[in-house]
Amino acid sequence: MAAKQWLLGVAAASLLFLSAAPSPVSAASSSTPYESYNYNYWEEGAPSPAAYVPARTVSGTDLGVGSFLEPSDLYTAVDGLIYVADTGNNRIVVMTDEWKVDRVIDSFENEGKKDSFNMPSGVYVDELGSLFVADTNNGRVVVLHKDGTLKLIVDNPQSDILAAGFKFVPLKVAVDKAQRVYVVANGVYEGVMQFDSEGSFIGYVGTNKVQRDYTEIFWRIFSTKAQKAKMVLFIPTEFSNIDMDHKGFVYATNIDPNSKEPIKRLNPSGEDVLKRYGYFAVVGDIRFRMSVGPSKFVDIKVMGDGIYSALDSNQGKIFTYDDEGNLLYVYGSKGNQVGTFKTPVAIDRSGQNHLVLDRGKGNIAVFEPTLFGQKVNEASQLHYNGRNTEAVPIWEEVLRLNANYDIAYIGIGRSLLMEKQNGEAMDYFELGMDRKNYSVAYKRHRRELMKEHFSSFMTTVVILAAVLAAFLLARAWRKRKPFVRAAAPQTKGGDRAL
Amino acid sequence: MKQDFIKFPLHLIVHPFNGFWDMKYDGKGKLKVAFTILALAILSITLQKQFAGFLVNFNDPRYLNSLGDIVGVLFPFLLWCAANWSITTLMGGEGKFKEIVLATAYSVTPLVLIYVPITIASRFMVKEETAFYYLMLTIAFVWFIGLLFVGTMTVHQYTALKTVVTMALTVVVMGIIVFLGALVFSMFQQIYEFFYNIYRELIFRA
Repeated sequence: MAAKQWLLGVAAASLLFLSAAPSPVSAASSSTPYESYNYNYWEEGAPSPAAYVPARTVSGTDLGVGSFLEPSDLYTAVDGLIYVADTGNNRIVVMTDEWKVDRVIDSFENEGKKDSFNMPSGVYVDELGSLFVADTNNGRVVVLHKDGTLKLIVDNPQSDILAAGFKFVPLKVAVDKAQRVYVVANGVYEGVMQFDSEGSFIGYVGTNKVQRDYTEIFWRIFSTKAQKAKMVLFIPTEFSNIDMDHKGFVYATNIDPNSKEPIKRLNPSGEDVLKRYGYFAVVGDIRFRMSVGPSKFVDIKVMGDGIYSALDSNQGKIFTYDDEGNLLYVYGSKGNQVGTFKTPVAIDRSGQNHLVLDRGKGNIAVFEPTLFGQKVNEASQLHYNGRNTEAVPIWEEVLRLNANYDIAYIGIGRSLLMEKQNGEAMDYFELGMDRKNYSVAYKRHRRELMKEHFSSFMTTVVILAAVLAAFLLARAWRKRKPFVRAAAPQTKGGDRAL
Repeated sequence: MKQDFIKFPLHLIVHPFNGFWDMKYDGKGKLKVAFTILALAILSITLQKQFAGFLVNFNDPRYLNSLGDIVGVLFPFLLWCAANWSITTLMGGEGKFKEIVLATAYSVTPLVLIYVPITIASRFMVKEETAFYYLMLTIAFVWFIGLLFVGTMTVHQYTALKTVVTMALTVVVMGIIVFLGALVFSMFQQIYEFFYNIYRELIFRA
């Protein structure tokens, strides 16, 4: 009896031990509320380590300023202060990167009178610390000095190209180094509105192209005038958000479900100059269920060194691309846990961390980079700055964490190519499925091999040629002989016959 | 042996009119040679998919399947022969089924002859030179179609125009055969399902 009990005890203990042992592992792997993946060369979503993990959320109540009501924009200034456009409460909340409230801006002095915002939905802070607020329902952009005094009001744009009775409804705002103000306005299809530093309207930049829908055109041929009038117009889509990089190029997103170019980088003359050298288009998810639909970008943030992150409100994901249009990592999803979103509307950064503003939840989610995310960022930055050799050990570490990371193979390959180790570079380019660079490496490698082995190759050729010549001569000689021999008896026979 | 397997096919592909004539009327075509050519074609296509150079090989290695290659060659081949036989029987063609099989199989020879060396050569190509690879593949294909044309023409003793029409119709008939096959298959499946349902009903009642 005692022995039986003892055996049972051992069995129970071993069961406990067995079930206890793997649990920390599964806990660690399920620490993100979303699945991390990246697309491989074959356009399949391959599992990948998470690049960013949720650290915490910050709500208005946490800050002690009352809940955010439908907040719609977030901006981190150069000095690290974080600005939130708390739209529903008609105020701008400014906080430090340690999540202490710095100040709350809900009014300013305008010509001696107290003035306030009405549903402000966009904020931007330039390098001097001036605050630009897209004061949506007041139809103006308010510019405040760092100390909170009024600097400028941009409203009521005047121009021949604007229709009579044009209503200015600014949604998002950005400013370049020359103090030109870029505004995404509601109901404006011509592009991003551009204002000079005095607040007068200059013109539009970067119109979205109209997508042709051939079935629609086909039906239009057979429809009556009344039917045509009821049909949707072929108009370009509006931009959804803008950001500015350090060179003064405008990064803009637009919500066009069929567009192959939902993200644009506009140069000063308004042309799209975004590099799209990756395996696939810069469109967010390249595979999705038809019921879910493609990514819908509502915000974009230039993270520096060519890296930019775009926020997909459709599935609550953040897609980060490098300068060349390679998808670096994807994270986020929709849900109710910390680190998932209801209605994500804005993304920014604070140091290494990413901040995502959720309008539905009324909070800011803070994401911290993992070791993997850090290394990817670091290596991409080095690569962007042309320091390929320094990037190699970091890429190697990335590969240790994720052996499927094609960009790392290509990165190492490039460095090897620079160092003229063409054979090794070829192997890496093949692993990264980079045919273009592989070809370059192979061309050099082939030339090297030919140079190296030219003498032995030529010696072999000469010897072979000599052997062949000798063989042919011998055969010709042998062939001639029987002919002579055969001729002789014939004459003999002829003699006999005679 | 050498005559059947090497000399005659090589003669045929460069002198198709004489070659197919000899094949039909002098009995120079052999079925074993035809099947060997087909086997070699399957082999060369498999080798090409597996071993063509990285710059020209866009196949996902995880999904390479030589069984698929075998079916991918044999199925269209048999389908072509059957469809061609059906259509030419109605259109006064003189060819027997065996001759159609022979003519079609011998026409595949250029594929074998070009695929193997160009697969090897593609491993030593850089991006700018891959145009030659695609050029050679195109030549192989055009050559094959040309031989098929002359073969059909000679075997059935058709005029050129009639051959073109016949070949086009053959392709249509191939489609019809596949369609009917699918139809029959799905019908049998439904019959099976019907009886299986009866069986299940009986089981549950009992």
